[in-house]
Amino acid sequence: MNDKTLLDLFVDGARKGWTVGINSILPNLVMAFALMQILTITGAMKLIGLIFGPMMGVFGLPGEAVTVLLTSWLSMAGGVGVAASLHSQSLLDSTQISILMPAIYLMGAQVQYMGRLLGVSATPKRWWPLLFANSIITAVISMVIMRAFV
Amino acid sequence: MSEPQENSTSPETLEVGLKGYIALVVAIIFFSGVLSSSKGWITALDFSTITGTFGMIKGANQSFTFLGAGGTGARYAFLFGLSLVPAVMLALGCIEIFTHLGALRAAQKLLTVILRPVLGIPGACALTLVTALQSTDAAAIMTKQLRDGSITNERERVILVAWQYPASGIMVNYFASGAALFAVLAVPISLPLAVIIIMKFVGANLVRLYLAFFYKGADLSE
Repeated sequence: MNDKTLLDLFVDGARKGWTVGINSILPNLVMAFALMQILTITGAMKLIGLIFGPMMGVFGLPGEAVTVLLTSWLSMAGGVGVAASLHSQSLLDSTQISILMPAIYLMGAQVQYMGRLLGVSATPKRWWPLLFANSIITAVISMVIMRAFV
Repeated sequence: MSEPQENSTSPETLEVGLKGYIALVVAIIFFSGVLSSSKGWITALDFSTITGTFGMIKGANQSFTFLGAGGTGARYAFLFGLSLVPAVMLALGCIEIFTHLGALRAAQKLLTVILRPVLGIPGACALTLVTALQSTDAAAIMTKQLRDGSITNERERVILVAWQYPASGIMVNYFASGAALFAVLAVPISLPLAVIIIMKFVGANLVRLYLAFFYKGADLSE
């Protein structure tokens, strides 16, 4: 029936990994690092840090971390890229990255999945706000949980 | 209503051999990082050990990977992104093998039994949940089919979608994009993943509670 060996399967999967890496991760990282470069040079990053400091402080995070969550909301890989960029600028340490990690995915790419999941599964629109809020709530709870772990 | 369409997800027809369960256990061990601090041959079962390291380039005072030190902006992002590709290729290659050996079917079989008590949805949704870990799009279509075939009612469909929506396609997304942060995490890479999966169940139950509270016993499909 199936004449593919495990090695063939691995190579198929690795090829998918190459495609994801080159077509998704790389462009998203370039976008995120370029964006962060602009925010840093213009001083907008400092301002964001001041404004969101108190709110993000609840989770043991600096105000700048809000950019990770806002970007995640549009793109998971983008959120990861912003977190990596903030780490390379020493604005987020390992502990703070760990706190953010589950939240990046739990509230990640909501806008995109609105079409791909809620739309395709034909879920009636009246449930969308509930489902929307639920993803954000799980992300918030995850940050509280991760803070207890690290 | 028409008869529920024939569905390969019913527990009776789902054959899972010992191989599938072994593949599931090995997959969990491989990606969990539990063996990362072990020594000897057993570390062949550890994802980060097999990923390996880049060689170091000797500088005057310090050694560097090909990323060097002090890079910024788009150029640094490009090299950094390139450095992540090998781990992503390894992860997706291994996931392909584990899937072929029946790891997902084993997970599905185990899920089938617990879905009714744990989420309040039929066991037939197990395949959709397991699929949703890897493919948002396939799971979305399956969710629609379950509803169209009246295998789930409206309430159950909303709970099923509530499980899928946060961190959709997580097994692929986490090991692909997440790789950019694995090296700097202060915890094993499996811990955030475990929290994500647990939160999917917590979130679905929050929605289940919300519906039970505001729409007690009501038929939601009108």
